[in-house]
Amino acid sequence: MNVNRRSVLQGVSGLTGLASLPRVAFGQSRAETLRYVTGNNVNTLDPTVPGSTRESFGLAMNVYDRLFAFGRKKLGDNWVFDSTQIRGELAKGFQISADGLKITVMLRPDAVWHDGSPVTAEDIKWSLDRAVSAKSLAPPQLSSGSMTSPDQFRIVDDHTIEVTVPKPDRLTLANLCVPYAIMINSKLAKQHVTAEDPWALDWLKSNSAAGGAYIVDSFKPNESVIIHRNEAWKGGADGRKPFFTRIIVQTVPEPATRANLIEKGDADLSIDLAASDIPTMEKSKKAKVVSVPQTNGFTHISMNTQLAPFDNAKVRQAIAAALPYEDMFKAALFTRGRRLYGGDWSGSPPDSDFPQPIPLKTDLARAKQLLAEAGMPEGFKTTFAFSTGQAATAEPMAALLKEALGKAGIEVEIQKKPDAEFATLESDKKLPFYTDGATAWLPATFYFFWLYFTRDQRWNFSSWKNTDIEQLSTAAHFERDSAKYDDECKKMISIFAQNVPLIMLWQPNHDAVMASNIDGYTYQFYRQADFRDLKRT
Amino acid sequence: MRGTVLAIARRVGQRLLSSIPALLGVVVITFILMRVMPGDPAVFFASGPSAGKAEIEELRHKMGLDKPIPVQLVLYLKDVATGDLGRSLTTGQPVSTDMRRRLPASLELTFCALFIALLFAVPLGVAAALRPGSPVDHFVRMLCTLGVCVPTFVSGLLLIYVFYYLLGWAPDPTARIDIFAASPPEITGFYLIDFALTGEWAGWWAAFTQLLLPACTMALFVLAPLARMTRASMLSVLGGDFIRTASAMGLSRARIIVVYALRNALLPVLTITGIVFSTMLGANVLVEKVFSWPGVASYALDALLAADYAPVQAFVLLMATIFVMVNVLIDVLYGIADPRMSVE
Repeated sequence: MNVNRRSVLQGVSGLTGLASLPRVAFGQSRAETLRYVTGNNVNTLDPTVPGSTRESFGLAMNVYDRLFAFGRKKLGDNWVFDSTQIRGELAKGFQISADGLKITVMLRPDAVWHDGSPVTAEDIKWSLDRAVSAKSLAPPQLSSGSMTSPDQFRIVDDHTIEVTVPKPDRLTLANLCVPYAIMINSKLAKQHVTAEDPWALDWLKSNSAAGGAYIVDSFKPNESVIIHRNEAWKGGADGRKPFFTRIIVQTVPEPATRANLIEKGDADLSIDLAASDIPTMEKSKKAKVVSVPQTNGFTHISMNTQLAPFDNAKVRQAIAAALPYEDMFKAALFTRGRRLYGGDWSGSPPDSDFPQPIPLKTDLARAKQLLAEAGMPEGFKTTFAFSTGQAATAEPMAALLKEALGKAGIEVEIQKKPDAEFATLESDKKLPFYTDGATAWLPATFYFFWLYFTRDQRWNFSSWKNTDIEQLSTAAHFERDSAKYDDECKKMISIFAQNVPLIMLWQPNHDAVMASNIDGYTYQFYRQADFRDLKRT
Repeated sequence: MRGTVLAIARRVGQRLLSSIPALLGVVVITFILMRVMPGDPAVFFASGPSAGKAEIEELRHKMGLDKPIPVQLVLYLKDVATGDLGRSLTTGQPVSTDMRRRLPASLELTFCALFIALLFAVPLGVAAALRPGSPVDHFVRMLCTLGVCVPTFVSGLLLIYVFYYLLGWAPDPTARIDIFAASPPEITGFYLIDFALTGEWAGWWAAFTQLLLPACTMALFVLAPLARMTRASMLSVLGGDFIRTASAMGLSRARIIVVYALRNALLPVLTITGIVFSTMLGANVLVEKVFSWPGVASYALDALLAADYAPVQAFVLLMATIFVMVNVLIDVLYGIADPRMSVE
């Protein structure tokens, strides 16, 4: 028999029959409490504040409502988000005008904020205005859905708002589902507005003015956040309340400790265990692992297309032909993910999805031939960088890359950089050759291309400039005809495969480890746990 | 007696005054070091999926990083003088708030660890000194070597594995108190004291058991310098004439060892305790990480990795201040342990 402090206490209080003792209430509520342990930290309750962490996005999804939410679908045995299905969250429904320029949003008439006051169109207007005007992370995101000015949001009546866009945009609704598009209790937030801070950014950092599924009880940055269920919440997919009455989000920096906690049954969920612990967890009786490829992300090897020798497409193709993909995939991820290399098409891709496997294969003879064609038969010297934060996967991969490129005559020096330094070098475009990962919240093909392969900006990893891609990604953004849209996307993918500005490697698995009685885990586009989906069986 | 107290007070005052230039130097050097380190905090923190050049510039402006470094330094010194240590980007809170919450956690852990270490180190050192070369001496030497050789995160993880995972005796090694239990009202910030003050002995016990493993891990690490110093110092004192005289006078062995030998041998042990304490406070980052202890050292490390300037600067300033205070305290304790020391 397994005796511990908790069971003894419960046993003792059970024997004495004092049902009203808090310890017994605590014993019952343990089943309805979810303890989530993470190596990261929630640093703000307002996810739009510059510097907010991914944990903060995850928490905000549970504390705040947005107007709309993505649905979910089954991928194998697991649930993943589905950005093609959009349903109302704080909104009851919507209508789009025939020309696609006007979206009429109907609010739930019975919706209330956490303080019990009713949700009005005025609150929504204020929240939307804030999302396009405050000095926060929200405006650049919402601009990708053609929402840039408060003039675009008009109050029709108490429970109706009209959103006008200059062009029919494929991503307007989707942008109202992302963590930045939180709906705020404006009457409460306005009480904390100052002259320098007209959108209460400072106050909302450590306070919430929300109406979502959970209410914040305590918020200790870098330690824990405790939230409890909002019994008046109606924003769920079928109006049902979430299963768990209380959620504890706790920062536990040591991955081995997180693994121990879950295996002992003291914690219920963690999504950032060490890769080496996952196989053990899969065998464990008390825990189970939900592994889903990160369908909206990719790990890549980027080459700076503005710097010699990588400005030559032949050199990039040569490197793409020299890499030992399968060995790298095994060494870095133990094949826990989806391959984005080794596609068996040429010319035009089979469908318009992106990222999808690109026809990249290891072929040393071809690599040597391409290098000769590029005028560098003797090869060249370069550096290959990665950040310490990614060392667990990037280090074995870099060693294999160095060995393989050495065979083609390319001498590689491996550079491991501290995270902050790596981010600065990457953003300043000073890395010639490096690896990194990326995820896009809105996994539309044109959005990937627009975000990662156009313009002089941070996320254009390889500083690629291609006028065709620029035109096609813009055209696809506002394309209403789906056959034409598919065509444009396929064109972009084949131009990409031809030019190899960066080498697509794989989509690593998102490994969520949970107590075996937890069910309903859904992989979300912001890569955090949505507590509203979870239940204990 | 009054004269002694006055002398001590004067010395304390002088020591505090003379430490001000040193503290100022520490502040300036840390400030410059942080800025010459590669890595731009604005880029690191504006890393949302849609953060572009404009957002990075905006953040840089907000953090005052767009000004020349000398101007930044003057502004920073002015803020520090008024007690404003800046805001942490990692936690989103003012650094002084973070420090106020986290310093008691670190101090509580360090004090307990030091207490445990002294509790074992002094008797062990004395025992080893009484029979140099004996099995007892060798055992103490082995224990000390082991404590120093095994890194704290290894011994910490090992203790967790045995006492939490295998035996289930220890509570789960996360934070200062069971996450499901209520923390005490904020009085001093030291959980053991706060629980004792409010008389919640169940809470006190919970906090105490939570503290035991990390404190033991740290105590193991500092056992060696303390025990070795006690042994060496006892050995030299035991060879002194006055000990021989005391034995010749027929005083009891216990009295000779405790009253005459140990008191005289304590001086170097006190010095080393001061140094060990200051080092522990800064160097217990690994223990804090392994046990999810919300202390200042792990806070500073997180900030350093994220190029978050304000907390790192505040941490170094805090450590320097504590170092000065501890040295002053040790000075005062010298006077008590050996009255000859307080004569200038």
